[in-house]
Amino acid sequence: MSDSPILFVRTVAKRFGGTVVLEDMNLTVERGSIHAVVGESGAGKSTLIKVLAGIVRPDRGTIEYDGKKVTIGSPDAARKQGIGVVLQQAGLFPERPVLANLFVNGEPLHNGLISRREMEARSRDVLRQLGLAVDVHRPLSDLAPGERQLIAIARALLENPRLLILDDPNSALDRRQSERLFAVLRGLKARGMSMLYASNRLEETLAIADQLTVIRNGRDVLSKARQDLTASEEAMIGQLRQSLFPLPPRALPTLAGTLRPQITVAGLGGGRLDGICFTARAGEIVGLAGLAGSGASNLLAMLFGQQKAREGKVRFPDGDGLPRTRTEAARRNICLISGERGNGLMPDKSIAFNLSNVVVGARDWGTRWYSPRMALGRAARQIEALRIRSAPEMPAGSLSAGGQQKVIIAKWLEIGPQVVLLDEPARGIDIGSKQEIYALIRQMAASGCIVLLHSKELSELTGLCDRILAFRQGRLVGEIADAAMDAGTILKLIAADEPGSEHRQSRRESAA
Amino acid sequence: MTKTDTAPPLAGSANRQPGRGIRLPDETGAVVALAALVGILGWLRPSFLDPANLWALLGQAALPGLLAIGMVFVLAMREIDLSAGAVFHLAAVATALLIEAGFDPWLSALAGIVLGASLGLVNGVLATTLRLPALVVTSGTWWMIQGLSLVVGKGQTITPPGADGSLFTTLSAKAFAVVPAAGIVFIALALAMHIVLHRTRFGYRVQAVGSNPRAAAYAGIPTARVRLLTLVLMGAMAGLAGVIHGGADGAIAPGDGSAFGLLAITAALIGGTSLSGGHGSVIGAAIGILIVQVILSAMTLFGVDSAWSTFATGALTVLALALDRLVRLWRNRRVDGGQDHPFD
Repeated sequence: MSDSPILFVRTVAKRFGGTVVLEDMNLTVERGSIHAVVGESGAGKSTLIKVLAGIVRPDRGTIEYDGKKVTIGSPDAARKQGIGVVLQQAGLFPERPVLANLFVNGEPLHNGLISRREMEARSRDVLRQLGLAVDVHRPLSDLAPGERQLIAIARALLENPRLLILDDPNSALDRRQSERLFAVLRGLKARGMSMLYASNRLEETLAIADQLTVIRNGRDVLSKARQDLTASEEAMIGQLRQSLFPLPPRALPTLAGTLRPQITVAGLGGGRLDGICFTARAGEIVGLAGLAGSGASNLLAMLFGQQKAREGKVRFPDGDGLPRTRTEAARRNICLISGERGNGLMPDKSIAFNLSNVVVGARDWGTRWYSPRMALGRAARQIEALRIRSAPEMPAGSLSAGGQQKVIIAKWLEIGPQVVLLDEPARGIDIGSKQEIYALIRQMAASGCIVLLHSKELSELTGLCDRILAFRQGRLVGEIADAAMDAGTILKLIAADEPGSEHRQSRRESAA
Repeated sequence: MTKTDTAPPLAGSANRQPGRGIRLPDETGAVVALAALVGILGWLRPSFLDPANLWALLGQAALPGLLAIGMVFVLAMREIDLSAGAVFHLAAVATALLIEAGFDPWLSALAGIVLGASLGLVNGVLATTLRLPALVVTSGTWWMIQGLSLVVGKGQTITPPGADGSLFTTLSAKAFAVVPAAGIVFIALALAMHIVLHRTRFGYRVQAVGSNPRAAAYAGIPTARVRLLTLVLMGAMAGLAGVIHGGADGAIAPGDGSAFGLLAITAALIGGTSLSGGHGSVIGAAIGILIVQVILSAMTLFGVDSAWSTFATGALTVLALALDRLVRLWRNRRVDGGQDHPFD
């Protein structure tokens, strides 16, 4: 083994349709080290990793692996090269047993048949290392999100890769699991494995990385060894994000709080949630912080009539309780905007058609006719207002991801929503559109909407919200406002370890 | 206005103005194909262009054509109804038996249509409460309905007493001595339903659900109700066609209309409706069914063994599917620059 770096990425570029995701990406991963890639979501981290995993083909640039120039044409090719990848949305099979998920496409054979015994024997060590005490014969869907994430990591480790690539692996992990994972990664490093670690949480990354590359708008803007990083550079990386957010009109929130319309939630429970109480007033942006599985998304789904509540009282500004269906929610001017792809757009229909979704599709008053001409007028107005760079007749799918998200927001703006529920509204879109969408959210609040914003990106919450409610395992564990709002405090609240995880596990076992 | 002009064009974003007027309607292909077919046939066999022959063709196309109208709505909603042919038959048998039992023919006809609609309702309720695709549900109900019409009709050809039936004289009568009544109903409904699909709230919802059911639900569109209503519409269309069949032909054989369900799908596909949902053309489907009938009648005209007609229908379906797919792939290539689904 030579000491030359294991991986070179040189001038890699990639665009999807109209969006440039990677422009000029360079990266060098030394052998036996942990190299971190940090950047806002939407900066191009995930695409870079998909390029290395053989899922996305770059338009330009070279990749040199282990001293040779390689083209990674498929995930299988990556595997053969000894590149193990843990993606953000791990391609796992929830209905299949844990064991089957650990050995996808690489099941050990015994006389031509899959040998379950050998799978068990091989996986035992890895699972113990990761601190996973789960029954490998249960379906994966029985596991908590954090455990599922660890299973995805275990799967990659079982292939004995020489280069392990992790895309934001601890987004779903609680603090204890996170520390455990870091310990495992350090152990692997000591055994000579190289790692590429992408994350948008700077603090954690600094704790584990040997080298660091900052990525912005598809370019590497800074690449250094961890110990060479000066305090001012560290601070600069931390501040990159702050300029994204519009300044809130600070005068408003404290004024005449009782007179403004508000939404009151008292003792709400159902699904994962239990005993949630809070009030949100018009004009403020209330953040909901929580890891995957914390219930923050469920809360939004319940307020939108998508999930049933088990107990508790909710009072909307129009005086009624929870909507029973999404249709009822839409008709009562309650809207949910989700950043999950596929939740909001009809890509093969025109922008004009999409913008009529709520006005024509959801409402049942007004004319029974659908007038394409009126739809075009509506679209022209919104395109102008939100600066969507296209024409009303164009299919919505031809827009960039940011443009598509603007269309989704615009169709709700058409009805003048009273309550705006946002579930990671700026996920996976370019920085420019992000900025515009943040400004829009601010505007909606200023014009008298009640805005609830859930995001896994803590900087988004701290940058945009007036106060933040922290959720952990279905409970509201704290409220932070003003000066106390920083990512560290929130993280402490939402990811603190507690006996809960073991308790949950034993309960699951007793239920089995 | 100037704001958008001065905005720096984002790399590759779609900021060019689309060429207005260049986009041809979806039905163009089908219209051209039909005209070409009729032209060639008329040139080879001038007797084909005989008005009586053309009107007869329209009459034959009317029954599966009515099913195709309903099927366009179902396909535009990204669903498939397999049971339509069976509904057609059961409605025909039930109407005939009611008339035989001495009920008023018009009332019996109405009952036939209502029966079709309620069978559609059963399909719809099953599909929405079990959250299954209509394809799955109707593959079961198709057998059940088929079985029911065998039980009710005792597996025999039914000939309703035509002596008094004002319905039958009306239906088998031909306006101006040549145009079959069924054909008139078909054309009128095709035009009306085309407008319903493209210019009403209901039609808008059908297309929205078909384009992306999840996005439709998130936008507050009552997807379950749309699904239900569309399947009811499909059933009512099949029922209406069944009633007309009983009235116009005067005899209902056990095998009648068994292929109509698939024929309706073929017609819709030829007419530019795609299986992936989101849009549909009722007029296209009407032209599509005419194309099928023209080809079938051409085969008899040229003395091809009638046993081949089933094969020909199938081949036509595959051809329509392949063309639809190729056009779509080609368009995607142009829009996405060769990248099919970037983030998936």
